[in-house]
Amino acid sequence: MAKTLEFRGIGKSYPGVRALDNVNFKVESGKVLALLGENGAGKSTLLKILSGDQKPTDGEILVDGKPTVFNSPHDAHAAGISVIYQERQLMPSMSVAENIFAGAIPVKGKGPMVDWKKLYEETKKLIDFFGLDIDPSEQVGRLSIANQQMVEIMKAYRRNSDIIAYDEPTAPLSEKEIELMFQGIEKQKQRGMAIIYVSHRMNEIFRITDEIVILKDGKHVATMETAKTTEAELITKMVGRDIGDTYSNLRRNTPKEEVVLEVKNLNTPKLHNVSFQVHAGEIVGLAGLVGAGRTETARAIFAADPITSGEIWLGGKQTHFKSPRDAIDAGVALCPEDRKEQGLVMYRSISDNIALPVVEYLKKGLFVDRGIAGDLADKAVSDYDIKTPTIMKLVAELSGGNQQKVILGRWTSDAVKTKLLILDEPTKGIDVGTKAEIYQKVCDLASEGIAVLFISSELTEVINLADRIVVMRGGSISGELPRAEATEENVLTLAMADEAKKEAKA
Amino acid sequence: MKKDTSFKGKLKALTQKKIFTLICLYIVMVIIFSVWAELRHTHFLTVPVFKNILNSLVVTSFLTLGAGCLLIGGYLDLAQSSIGAFGSMVMAAAIAGWGFPWYIAIIVALLLCAVFGVINALMVTKLHFPAFIGTMAMASMVKGLMYLFSSMGTGGTAQNINFNNKATEFIGSGDILGIPFGVIVMVIFFIIFGILMSKTSFGMKVTLMGGSPVAATLAGINAEGLTILLFVISAVMGGLGGVFNCARLSQGALQALTTNQFTGLTAAILGGISFGGGVGGMGGAFVGLLILNTFQIGMGIVGVNPLWVTVFSGILLLIALGLDFLAMQRRAKSLSH
Repeated sequence: MAKTLEFRGIGKSYPGVRALDNVNFKVESGKVLALLGENGAGKSTLLKILSGDQKPTDGEILVDGKPTVFNSPHDAHAAGISVIYQERQLMPSMSVAENIFAGAIPVKGKGPMVDWKKLYEETKKLIDFFGLDIDPSEQVGRLSIANQQMVEIMKAYRRNSDIIAYDEPTAPLSEKEIELMFQGIEKQKQRGMAIIYVSHRMNEIFRITDEIVILKDGKHVATMETAKTTEAELITKMVGRDIGDTYSNLRRNTPKEEVVLEVKNLNTPKLHNVSFQVHAGEIVGLAGLVGAGRTETARAIFAADPITSGEIWLGGKQTHFKSPRDAIDAGVALCPEDRKEQGLVMYRSISDNIALPVVEYLKKGLFVDRGIAGDLADKAVSDYDIKTPTIMKLVAELSGGNQQKVILGRWTSDAVKTKLLILDEPTKGIDVGTKAEIYQKVCDLASEGIAVLFISSELTEVINLADRIVVMRGGSISGELPRAEATEENVLTLAMADEAKKEAKA
Repeated sequence: MKKDTSFKGKLKALTQKKIFTLICLYIVMVIIFSVWAELRHTHFLTVPVFKNILNSLVVTSFLTLGAGCLLIGGYLDLAQSSIGAFGSMVMAAAIAGWGFPWYIAIIVALLLCAVFGVINALMVTKLHFPAFIGTMAMASMVKGLMYLFSSMGTGGTAQNINFNNKATEFIGSGDILGIPFGVIVMVIFFIIFGILMSKTSFGMKVTLMGGSPVAATLAGINAEGLTILLFVISAVMGGLGGVFNCARLSQGALQALTTNQFTGLTAAILGGISFGGGVGGMGGAFVGLLILNTFQIGMGIVGVNPLWVTVFSGILLLIALGLDFLAMQRRAKSLSH
């Protein structure tokens, strides 16, 4: 126990790219160190080196002061290091116990028979230690995302890892689940583990970390004590320029009277009597816990899922959309939650992805004129400042922020007449600098008169961006808050009222 | 931001295309066979040999077209050859037994094939079967139906149906100015499909859908409609293969297309259409098919034991796909950091 980890002069070169350059820092036992940087700053590369997945080109890693070389992830495990990636590395069809003890399943005597009783008992002990309510024999794939994350944490704990690195662990979690996860990290801290924590969320970094290392373009920019710094200072160091307070610098617009979207008593298998309005030029935040029905509402309006009853009015007319095509033709646009799976055709060009909803618009006579698609794409690239050498680049090769800009550009091209823009978690996994750009763009679109429905799990974001917040809980609307009353506390109270009651009963 | 339009730029863009690699591979293959044949005191690079190669492409070229479009759209159809065989049997029965004119017989056969295509599509779109499983079951059912159908006039014995018809004989073996009729139709179809897939909104939508059906649907592309259309095209193209097979033999044969369950798919994949959909074109598929058949005929000419030719065909496919797979892996790896 009580180990330290030190990176000394770490550098990593790929053909044509210097991904990391002279990174030096040290994580002490019982401390949490944040690794901060924009997308592409080199955080993932550093984690890959730590996990033994890749070897550094220069420098060395010291565990307890001793230089250590990892030739494979197995070597890293053996040295007591666990890296928990964003994409969980679990076997979904196996039980919780089997996942946690994979590689060290207890056997009867000298084997080969598995000692199931002992396996489940040991797992139960771990689950109790973390204060969770999970059945050791449950299939991991059937657990909530948060509990799957906890299984990863228990796995690392079981391995007796002394050094754990988390790569954006809270991205898929709701506020309440994050709380659970932080308690887990607190327990690990107390046990003297050294923790590296990668996240874009400032409030989390200030809450749980002791020290912050900032990377920019592969270079180690600064190491700071969390207690002695401010958010503004971190962002300046990270972005390399002063972008000021993200929210107070936004150029905003006042919503108009005209109602663009009106949802009346909408019902689907997952939604109950959902009613709300969005005005022209208004940004309405849709808040709630994961599973509260926000995405389902968006999909129902967009006719991606069928509705059982209720009415949807757009621009004063009742709609009867049969498919997303009808919705798009009427001026509704959806940027889906999962941009890689649902938003983009990854192995196609920027140009193709922007033309995706308007292929018919490209027609000249019998044939498609790709020049028109090129013009649309050129405009989106300049409007949104998409960083790419050419519009023919595959979107898979772009950073997350630029990918999101491609989707936004798609829905605001001249070929679509968007009146209502639905954004489902548009800034998930996007760095601070690009986030600020996207916020400003959303405000600009609103001032052009577009009605915006903004779904986000990041409370600060919804509160600061939205003109009005609609809160959902368990498939229903639990309340509405005007901008003036939108505080984290008020939103959370509305989002979790039932949960609190349930807990009070239990 | 603009495309490089200089000659050098165009040349560079050309060499980066998959079809360029394929054509180079083909030329290398032709050279090897030519030299090898000379060493064995025979000839490979002659007009009759290439006429023979082109002729051998006709039936399977239609299967390749159908399978290629479908694969670009992200699906595969293992029932295609069975449906084609069924079509060929119906055509023979319509001419021999029911006395239909040859063109009506062909239309009836193709329409029936289209119906099977619709059933395939509905299994995938409505019942959400994986295409692999749905069409594999369909392959067996259609084959059984073909046996039953062929036995209807004979009191229960499945058998080939023979007929005599001047028009179908011309379709199968006639030529215009020395070029086989089938080859002409094949070339026309490849041009039409090539334009369809690369220049029209239909082709663009199919390609984008193949890349990501979910994203395409959420961007307003009617993926379900396109899928149905693609399965119908696959089945009708299978049927057209069956029609040419039937016309060539003047017979609805029980054994028609039995060895071709994977031919269209193999040629399409060899021609650079990605197994996952969304990548590739008809030109590549044609060269893929050309490589397959030239390889087999070339092996025959230089005197390789025919029993070994099948093994070598497998190795050829393995090498071609292996290179593709490695290229994909390298690309995926370069994207991951």
